[in-house]
Amino acid sequence: MALADFLVSLLTVVSVYTLFGLGLNIKYGFTGLVDFGHVLYFLTGAYVTVVVTLPAAATSYEGIGGFALPQLLSGVPLGGLLAWFAALAVAMVVAALLSLLVGVPTLRLREDYLAITALGIATILHTVVNDERWLFNGPFGVRDVHQPLTGAFPVSLGSFIVNLAVFGLVSVLVLAYVGYRVGGYVYGVDVRAAALSTVAAVLVVAGLGVATLGGSLVLAGVVVVAVGVAVLARSIRQADGYGQPVALFTALVFAAWYFGTPLVTTGPSGTLASAVWLFDPTAGANGGITYGRFVLLVSAAFVGISYWWCERTVNSPYGRVLRSIREDEDVPEALGKETFRYKVQSMMFGSALAAAAGGLWATHIAFIDPTQFTANITFFAFTAVIIGGAANNRGVVVGTFVFWTLHTGTRFLNDYFPTEYATQLAALRVMLIGALLMVILYYRSEGLLGEQTYDTGVAADGGGHSE
Amino acid sequence: MSDPILEVEGLEKFFGGITALDGATFDVDPGITGLIGPNGAGKSTAFDCITGFLDPDGGSVRFRGEDISGERPSAIANRGVVRTFQIPHELPEMTVRENLALAPREQSGEALVASWTRSDDYYTDERRAQERAVEMAERFEIDHVIDTPAGELSGGQRKLLELARALLTEPDLVLLDEPLAGVNPTLEEKILDHIQALAAEGYSFLFIEHDIDVIMEHCQEVIVMHQGRVLTRGEPEAVRTDERVVEAYLGGEAQ
Repeated sequence: MALADFLVSLLTVVSVYTLFGLGLNIKYGFTGLVDFGHVLYFLTGAYVTVVVTLPAAATSYEGIGGFALPQLLSGVPLGGLLAWFAALAVAMVVAALLSLLVGVPTLRLREDYLAITALGIATILHTVVNDERWLFNGPFGVRDVHQPLTGAFPVSLGSFIVNLAVFGLVSVLVLAYVGYRVGGYVYGVDVRAAALSTVAAVLVVAGLGVATLGGSLVLAGVVVVAVGVAVLARSIRQADGYGQPVALFTALVFAAWYFGTPLVTTGPSGTLASAVWLFDPTAGANGGITYGRFVLLVSAAFVGISYWWCERTVNSPYGRVLRSIREDEDVPEALGKETFRYKVQSMMFGSALAAAAGGLWATHIAFIDPTQFTANITFFAFTAVIIGGAANNRGVVVGTFVFWTLHTGTRFLNDYFPTEYATQLAALRVMLIGALLMVILYYRSEGLLGEQTYDTGVAADGGGHSE
Repeated sequence: MSDPILEVEGLEKFFGGITALDGATFDVDPGITGLIGPNGAGKSTAFDCITGFLDPDGGSVRFRGEDISGERPSAIANRGVVRTFQIPHELPEMTVRENLALAPREQSGEALVASWTRSDDYYTDERRAQERAVEMAERFEIDHVIDTPAGELSGGQRKLLELARALLTEPDLVLLDEPLAGVNPTLEEKILDHIQALAAEGYSFLFIEHDIDVIMEHCQEVIVMHQGRVLTRGEPEAVRTDERVVEAYLGGEAQ
């Protein structure tokens, strides 16, 4: 698998869980509702989206549904896509209503009891979905997931060269923009810190490279990596802050891995393939854009819209009431705000976003079963939100990216160990993330970005509004 | 004498086997009323029952003639009865500006959908809320810390913020739970001056206080509570010389 395919798949997962995390952040970050049952709405979103669009005669499916919405709309132009959007909307509404049902009895409880009760309800409903085959086919899961427009892919614009040029240009522009943003962030850092970060990156990459040669060189490689990490620590001290050195280091290591590895294994064409990541030369006769890449673009668009939506919600007097509930619920109540109503709305809004994430997840993965919706997913999202910084929408994006990159990226460790250690390695990878969380909470308890700042759209000095 | 603004009748509250309020009955007239009594007399419990933070087990509370007992705290606040807390409840992670701008009632931007659609009302109301927050901060001389997180304020500044925030709801009656506790004498004078000035503007206050001199100097009327009941209610001078009050609360000190 080309690295570009891996990147596309990783970014899709990151997009889906970012959407999920944005919903959690509305509940937990901004309103202070510790909803340990957040995954319930992810499950709801996935199953409702799938069942509403499921054909009537789905293979080995014995659950309710088969509403066959795409078939109903088959006469309409883009009917399959419309049906999918409609299903997603239904899923969001259903999840919001379900959270209303869960919320009315539980939201009267104080934080820790809310957390426990929410976890309990989510676990019960998960068990029901898993055990009752008449509901959603139980543990056998659902195949035949409707993937809108899938027949139209791979999309080709003409000859191979045209495809390469158009999709390649878009890919390179996106990479250039990311590079520009990272560069702008790192720019102005202490020169010695920059040099140290570069040296650290070179050492880590070299160490990992040596380690892959195997044998006794593994130990040497690990030592070199350790030295690299120590140099990075020195760079952080030199720069008097971790942000810029770590960003530079990460960017360099990423570039070495993403562009350097294919250069070594397959030559310059490999590096080119990485650079034009959106373009898949193996898709169809002339190459083109695959369905997986389309799902990534759709997911990214959903993240963009939801991010804007969340920002607009929290940067308002409404968001101010939500945060006051998080700080001390008695205060807004004493000032005449009906806090219960706000908490219910916050639950419903956050759950609807989780449901949208669930629908996208189902479309991405094309097969859903209850094992994909265990309580782990909730805690992964909590970890991601806390790493990035609770009550910071940008922090959700950063935290989710860091979390899933580590979680998925460390799967490569499996290549270097005998297969009988696979279970232990899986556990080790989760432990690594736990260790990272502890380091962040110890050195920077507010998360990488800390709480965001707010602007209700009215200049604080009472001047005109900024729209 | 004008009609009472608040009428409390036979208020009862039990915590397990403990009787916190045992049929407390009193009226509060417009102006400044003091509420005194020894520790455990039921003053704070009475506040909680009046403002809806506790459900009374018996009795009724009427505000401007309407029964408000059993309503949610927010509903009671929206009728014009607002309280402060004995220990200041600042919102620590939010700035002083945000703490204050939160308070004005019926802001259109406080509705979820309105925060998305943002009509003209949204901007009009929010601009007004921000302006009033600044005015109130200036009045209470906390404008120099207006962009500081409230959790970083000094104890005295928190007391001022608490009072300023309560007033931004434009209440008719403010219930102050020991507004002077733990405040230095200079600031105490300042807070009392504020209360006097606000009373002159038409706000009414019911406040819990332990310092009898403050009560004598600033209150038109005093309610004395003891063991969950009202012992007596009257003008400060009459209360000071009341034998029962002296016995229950003041000991020999007042003589």
